[in-house]
Amino acid sequence: MAEILQYVHKDGLFHRMHPGTKLFFILVIGIMTILSLDIPFLCALLGAVLLLALAGNILREVLDQMKLILVMSVVFILITLVTMPGGEVLFSLLPGGFLPVTTGALNAGITLTLRFAILIMAFQIFVISTQPRDLVNTLEKMGVPIDYNLMFLIALRFIPTLQVEAKKIHEAQLARGYSTGNGFVGRIKSVAPVMVPLVSNALSRANVLGITIDMRGYRTRKRTPFREEKFNTVDRAFAGVLGVALAAYIAAAVLQVIG
Amino acid sequence: MITLENVSYRYQRGERDAVSDVSLAVAPGECIMVTGPSGAGKTTLCMAASGILEHEFEGEKSGRVTINGRDAKDYPGLPEIAAHVSLVFDDPEAQLIFTTVEEEILSALERRGLSPAEIEERLSSILEITRLGTLKDRPPYALSGGQKQRVALAAALALGTDIVILDEPTAELDEEGTAGIVSVLLDLKAHGKTILLTEHKYSHFRDLVDRLVVMEGGRFRAIGPPSSLVDDRSVAEILVPDFSGIRRMFPAQSANAGDPVISVRDLDYLYGDVPALAGVSLDICPGEFVAIVGENGSGKTTLIKHFIGLLHAARGSVTVDGKDAKATPVSELAHSVGLVFQNPDHMFFADTVAEEVMFGITNLGIPHPEEVLEKALSRCRLSGARDLYPRWLSRGERQRLAIACVLAMQPKVIVLDEPTTGLDGRESREVMEILKHLQGEGRAVVMVTHNHQMAAECADRIVTMKAGRVVSDTRTVA
Repeated sequence: MAEILQYVHKDGLFHRMHPGTKLFFILVIGIMTILSLDIPFLCALLGAVLLLALAGNILREVLDQMKLILVMSVVFILITLVTMPGGEVLFSLLPGGFLPVTTGALNAGITLTLRFAILIMAFQIFVISTQPRDLVNTLEKMGVPIDYNLMFLIALRFIPTLQVEAKKIHEAQLARGYSTGNGFVGRIKSVAPVMVPLVSNALSRANVLGITIDMRGYRTRKRTPFREEKFNTVDRAFAGVLGVALAAYIAAAVLQVIG
Repeated sequence: MITLENVSYRYQRGERDAVSDVSLAVAPGECIMVTGPSGAGKTTLCMAASGILEHEFEGEKSGRVTINGRDAKDYPGLPEIAAHVSLVFDDPEAQLIFTTVEEEILSALERRGLSPAEIEERLSSILEITRLGTLKDRPPYALSGGQKQRVALAAALALGTDIVILDEPTAELDEEGTAGIVSVLLDLKAHGKTILLTEHKYSHFRDLVDRLVVMEGGRFRAIGPPSSLVDDRSVAEILVPDFSGIRRMFPAQSANAGDPVISVRDLDYLYGDVPALAGVSLDICPGEFVAIVGENGSGKTTLIKHFIGLLHAARGSVTVDGKDAKATPVSELAHSVGLVFQNPDHMFFADTVAEEVMFGITNLGIPHPEEVLEKALSRCRLSGARDLYPRWLSRGERQRLAIACVLAMQPKVIVLDEPTTGLDGRESREVMEILKHLQGEGRAVVMVTHNHQMAAECADRIVTMKAGRVVSDTRTVA
């Protein structure tokens, strides 16, 4: 099973970087992705992110989420076909001219998919290469309150636990003759036998988790700096390149608006 | 040290005191083990002794708790108490916050005002004492239950307290995991730590325990050195399961009574490219009581999942009640095979015990549902609990409810994965008696367990697995 959004212990370019640099990386990629509507540019950006993953020795881990991205892309394109028709009609999905596939809708769907893929993959690079402890420490230094910090940490930490547990619950209910229902109402109804145990078990865990965090002094006591990540040459170089790229991008965008 | 003087506590909306007028003094360097049936108040006692009741729980409290000479009330909060007492709970998953073993331990070490050199030194000594050195970069999801619990213990040790309180630390662990915890605790005791522990598995902790407390209904039934208590029969049956006479409840049916209900031939199964089962062949006949024993990872659970089509053979065949398990949907196989998983909390979702049992009956369209429901409840001694909320039942009752849910689906074979996990001696015996009754009705019972003693005393046939193979298949002598 592919573990969604987890730190992977490895050695690589991104693993050696300071979490702050990687946060800057996400920020720059995020800005470029959200401001851009140009498909060739988004493709180039996606290529650059994948090349960086390759350079960081984590391409395989980043590509683990391809399935999710492909599923989402189909959903996005279907939604835009229905909601944003425009441009020329290429063909129809259903006979009799129903569900026409238009160039405008395709364009919008592909743009959405590319943006989604770039953001997911950039975030993947960050999470795969950053120990949560370093992340918490960095965010703490940046002034993010420790409670919000812990919320983020715990959300990441429990994704695989919930995945494993959901599978066990699903199997237990299958053995009781459970089947996913038919039709919309049936489907909604069939969620309860899996979701109720999953949520109840998670809630009963919250109490112990809270006590554990408090007893470790995580919310109250000051931390001794230990094995701190330092900004090194790689960080400076990478941050420099990102800065230049962002400046160039903004300059180009401004020129386009003025011109 | 910790003292409790006449402590009583009633949870908000509780109908009776969870602990009632208990007094206990835990001396420095002493190890006290508290045991008793589920619902006896053991967890509440841990919460009281660690000051958590005082600071985190509403409800009616009386009496006095002191921790290292200071009243628990006078500590400002849990972080200050944590300088004296550390805690380990039964669910290892809930105590791991980070994504590698080392981070988990560091998270506690870094908040104690130590110098970096001291942190480094303690980290390596804790990794050594808990035998986690080779696992230090692993994420929680890549650890076994026993390893996770050792990480929770390591993080507790990182707090550097003299007193360690453990609430059923081995409840969810197998033999190997339990042994790992016991050996770490023996080391800690040798280092002079004070240990207060609640447990069911007295026989595993024999060498550790100075004093034993037996609780029932919120009170201390007996307290003293183990040697003075184990002779009391009513105490002994809680401490160590007594399965005597179980096998003779019903005479074992003559072997091969009829055609096999489950027939496994040359079964291979791979997880990814790791072989989990290799060349397994096995027949299970009506009226048989079979125990499948073996260590963690020997393939026991993988094998039984094939019986109901949750896993499909890579090679070989599994025939269930004349049907090819590979080609038959799970919902169809559920008519023939009932599977009770290890953790009952993975199945409960309804508001009442009766609704929970009805789920399977309705799914399979069993005739005379009301009658079947009543029979399943009474067989599992739950008739009085039919309107209760399943998750509020005791561990022993929840296990029996899980069996009732599967039983009500009227399978020809009932398969149980570690049915006595987390149960005390008496509750374990109750489960075995239910299984014996089912065998008496002509059903086949298959029980997966790592408890060789229980297998030898209750089952008529023992199948031993090792590294994905059946290494022996013998009949026990009645």
